Amino acid sequence: MSSDHIHPEPTTFLRKHVFSIDHKVIAKQFLWFGLIWLGIGGIMAMMLRWQLANPGVPVPLIGGLLFPRTGGVIDPATYNTLFTMHGTIMIFLGLTPAMIGALGNWCIPLMIGARDMIFPTLNMLSFWAMFLGGAVGFYSLFVPLGATEVGWTGYPTLSTTVGAVGQGETLWAIAVFLIGASSIMGGINYITTVIRLRCPGMTWMRMPLTVWGLFLTSILNVLFIPVIGSAMIILVLDRVFGTSFYVPASIMSGGTGGDPILYQHLFWIFGHPEVYILILPAWGVVCDLLSFFARKPAFGYRTSVGAMVVVTVLSALVYGHHMFTTGLSAMLGESFMLLTMIISVPAEILFFNWLHTLWKGSLRLTTPMLFAMGVIFVFGLGGLTGIYCATIGTDIFLHDTYFIVGHFHLTMAASALFGTFGAIYFWFPKMFGRMMSERLGKLHFWLSFFPLVLVFCIMFISGYAGMPRRYYDHTSAEYLRPLQHLNVATTVSAFLLGVAQFIFVFNFIKSRWWGKTAPQNPWDVGTVDWTIATPVPHYNFKTIPVVRCGPHEFSNPVLGPDTDWIYQTEELPG
Amino acid sequence: MSMLSTSTPSFAFLRSRWLGCPLALMLTSTWALAQDKRWGPGEPASDYGYRFGELFWLITTLVSVAFALVVVLLIVPMLRDRARPGHRASFDHGKSLHDKRLTAVISIITFIVLDAWVLVIAMKDLREAYWAIPAAKDPQTYKVEVLAQQWAWSFRAAGVDGEFGTPDDILTTNELVVPKDRPVSFNLTSKDVIHSLFLPEMRMKKDLNPGAINLAWFKPVVEGEFSILCAELCGFAHYQMFGKLRVLEQGQFNEWEAEASQLASTAFDADDTEGHWAWDWQE
Amino acid sequence: MNTTGVIELHGDGPVNQAPPETGRDRVNATLGMILFIGSWTMAFGTLFLSFLVLRDKIAVWPPAGIALPSAPIAGLATLVLAASSVFVERGSRSLSLDAGSGRKASFSALWITGMLLGLGFALLQAWLWYDLILAGRTQTSGLYESLFFGLTWVHAAHVVVGLFLLVWALVGSKLGRYGPERRSFVSNAALFWHFVGIVWLFLFLGFFVF
Repeated sequence: MSSDHIHPEPTTFLRKHVFSIDHKVIAKQFLWFGLIWLGIGGIMAMMLRWQLANPGVPVPLIGGLLFPRTGGVIDPATYNTLFTMHGTIMIFLGLTPAMIGALGNWCIPLMIGARDMIFPTLNMLSFWAMFLGGAVGFYSLFVPLGATEVGWTGYPTLSTTVGAVGQGETLWAIAVFLIGASSIMGGINYITTVIRLRCPGMTWMRMPLTVWGLFLTSILNVLFIPVIGSAMIILVLDRVFGTSFYVPASIMSGGTGGDPILYQHLFWIFGHPEVYILILPAWGVVCDLLSFFARKPAFGYRTSVGAMVVVTVLSALVYGHHMFTTGLSAMLGESFMLLTMIISVPAEILFFNWLHTLWKGSLRLTTPMLFAMGVIFVFGLGGLTGIYCATIGTDIFLHDTYFIVGHFHLTMAASALFGTFGAIYFWFPKMFGRMMSERLGKLHFWLSFFPLVLVFCIMFISGYAGMPRRYYDHTSAEYLRPLQHLNVATTVSAFLLGVAQFIFVFNFIKSRWWGKTAPQNPWDVGTVDWTIATPVPHYNFKTIPVVRCGPHEFSNPVLGPDTDWIYQTEELPG
Repeated sequence: MSMLSTSTPSFAFLRSRWLGCPLALMLTSTWALAQDKRWGPGEPASDYGYRFGELFWLITTLVSVAFALVVVLLIVPMLRDRARPGHRASFDHGKSLHDKRLTAVISIITFIVLDAWVLVIAMKDLREAYWAIPAAKDPQTYKVEVLAQQWAWSFRAAGVDGEFGTPDDILTTNELVVPKDRPVSFNLTSKDVIHSLFLPEMRMKKDLNPGAINLAWFKPVVEGEFSILCAELCGFAHYQMFGKLRVLEQGQFNEWEAEASQLASTAFDADDTEGHWAWDWQE
Repeated sequence: MNTTGVIELHGDGPVNQAPPETGRDRVNATLGMILFIGSWTMAFGTLFLSFLVLRDKIAVWPPAGIALPSAPIAGLATLVLAASSVFVERGSRSLSLDAGSGRKASFSALWITGMLLGLGFALLQAWLWYDLILAGRTQTSGLYESLFFGLTWVHAAHVVVGLFLLVWALVGSKLGRYGPERRSFVSNAALFWHFVGIVWLFLFLGFFVF
């Protein structure tokens, strides 16, 4: 797989833009792919919110087109499909490619001074496996008995033939498997690249924290995606070949049966690391961006790295907190509660370092900076509300209510999304050679930030008031009817959030083709990727750079009064 | 999808895509605002409910203070430390021994205040209440076997004779009647997919897994009618899988139990094997 | 990829001629393969964990009174696969011993023997299934059969992939694509084949020994 020779620059369209093995092109492919799916998942979220605020009222504008059979109304089965696919799409087809695929492919080789990923062909396969997974997932929306309706967690026995007939769920499992395969390929590539292709002088402790985040994410990808892969294989065996891994004897027509709880363990052994898979790159980006735009070294670089490593190690040991109501034994339950509380310590250290980086800085409130600070706010809210969910005493009531929905959206969805936005605004000039509009960027931030916080904070109230999630219509139960005003408020905020994203779409497309030409280093940042020309030449570095200082030497007094930054390839004076 | 027609308003003009939908949003909003509004889960009706409430508000207090601190530390630099001509950031890698000690001390303090404190109280609650499932032998314990299926709750109480699997077992669907001030102990399982018994006023929730029996309990301390909801996605009518929980004074309850047991024995059909799903009580 | 020095991309010389592998390239390739095997160990570890959890639900192990897969055949299959791994490994090592001397004969002989033994394992595995199906037991018959068929199917899929890699390496070496100077693919194929063998060993131990 390792291609150890220099290819000439491809000339045909197919080799240049479609089946390219150039990490920069693959990064852009992942970015476009991820953004399109984020859009689709976002529209699904809007439809879900519409249904919750207006149960049984036709969806405006697109309803008649999408659901002609019901005259534009979302029926309960479709509603279940929508939230299942919303979750699956956002996690596997939206954030994973946009965050890990695009950012990883773009940043890792450029920031460590490499000419490409170490296995370029594997890199290309990684994108096309993901593409195939997306295609299978998309196709599953149109099979005769409908797409999967069992939630993105796919718990058996609802996800076996006991509760889900037709091909939808099988195709979903296959799609998840393919996307997982893509992530593993990417992960192997990233890890090997970081270990083997760091340029001379780029020691582990001189790597930008973005690369650290992506590196640790890749380790989690390589270790834990296979777990869901196997769980999906077993699910497909049960569904298609009639085995009984997940189907208990009481449901089998005879003989011995399996255990549906086994799946929950397997799923969350993967599922909890997956949360960190999505958030670690965002943490890395935030660490870097705060330092870049506060013009101050990242406070406690080593402790930040250590904290992220500890999170990586602990991530698989806390998964049981997703299963407090499943019927864990007292001993297991209390152990998972304790471990979950312990994993908050490294997160606290990161917060401490972030806030300390800002303190007494010289803040340039550019769009990437705003988004990085937004991550602190949003992740702070999400992380702190995690205490309710980690404590069994409160979780038994809050489990599977909107409180949980609010919590995990703030931690893994909104934070990862804000991190992604920050990264896109930041690397866009290097990626496409043009500047994004700062004015529109800031507008996008503020118009996203307030509705986003509102959406999920109202969900905390709804959840505390006992509103279960995955309900088609909360007005049908007497107990939930007085909570409808919260649903309406959430929906209005969600629509505002949705509308604000059009600013981004407009800004992205306009800047991509008609933006101002970007200078080589618009942000005055010293990492290796900004030392090369824009657009980045074929194979990035004509001569492999030699790194002589860390990535965050901002405002170092030895630089003299005229400048407050230095390239990593330059020697610190004195 | 027959339930659709019930929830779709019959106003034809609402179906007009352009005019109807914003109008519908306005109407539902107005309607929702006109409703009785609730901002919390209501008064607890079980003894555990009070423990939940105390713990919830303790965490809320701690979390609010911590978050306020984060916001202040976020906003102060935003206002005070903006880039301006002649202003230079202080140069600090934060890698001195002093910084490391500070990091350690602050994270330990945060852990103790935010996590350990909550942990200790939670452990106490769990040991004293949540996991202290009352003994089945205790005559005070009211035992109920719950069998969930898509999309209904079946409850089985032992009846006057106190034995499961006898003709006087009281079987109810989507309605559970329990005595006040006595611990109610559940054996929970499911016929098809995973469900979750959610008694919001009692602050209780437990999954019902097919092929295994889960245990749970609560002690109602308030008389009245309460809700039973399903909290684990179980198919397209998940949202309609609700029932009613009635808590009666002991005297009233005895009357009800005697009558229900009597009725059950009269109507007992020995050939109805489907109806005899009782199992040996699990502890 | 050329990871060091200056590159002249628009020079006159042909830039896509494959130079011999360096030691650095071999380390890269092996590291990638080790990561891949680590990942796949988690995948099979998951299956094996499921096996252990579910096996606990079967009161008597192995189940009494039903047809079981034949332990002697499985034992023979284990020996055949182990022998296959030995030959494949010796074939792979013969390449590095041959580096510089230009010989290739010993590689082909060892490699083909390993491949044939691998094929022999596949046939024995098929025999195990066939026997059980003849006795009326299929994957739908019960939990034991689910475990046996399910896990051996997944393993067999990897046997097929492994055999394909072995064939590919052989064909490549005949075409001159792989040889003593460029042997990463061969050694990686051998590594994968050993991994497949070790997985089988665990399955054998789980189903037939303990």
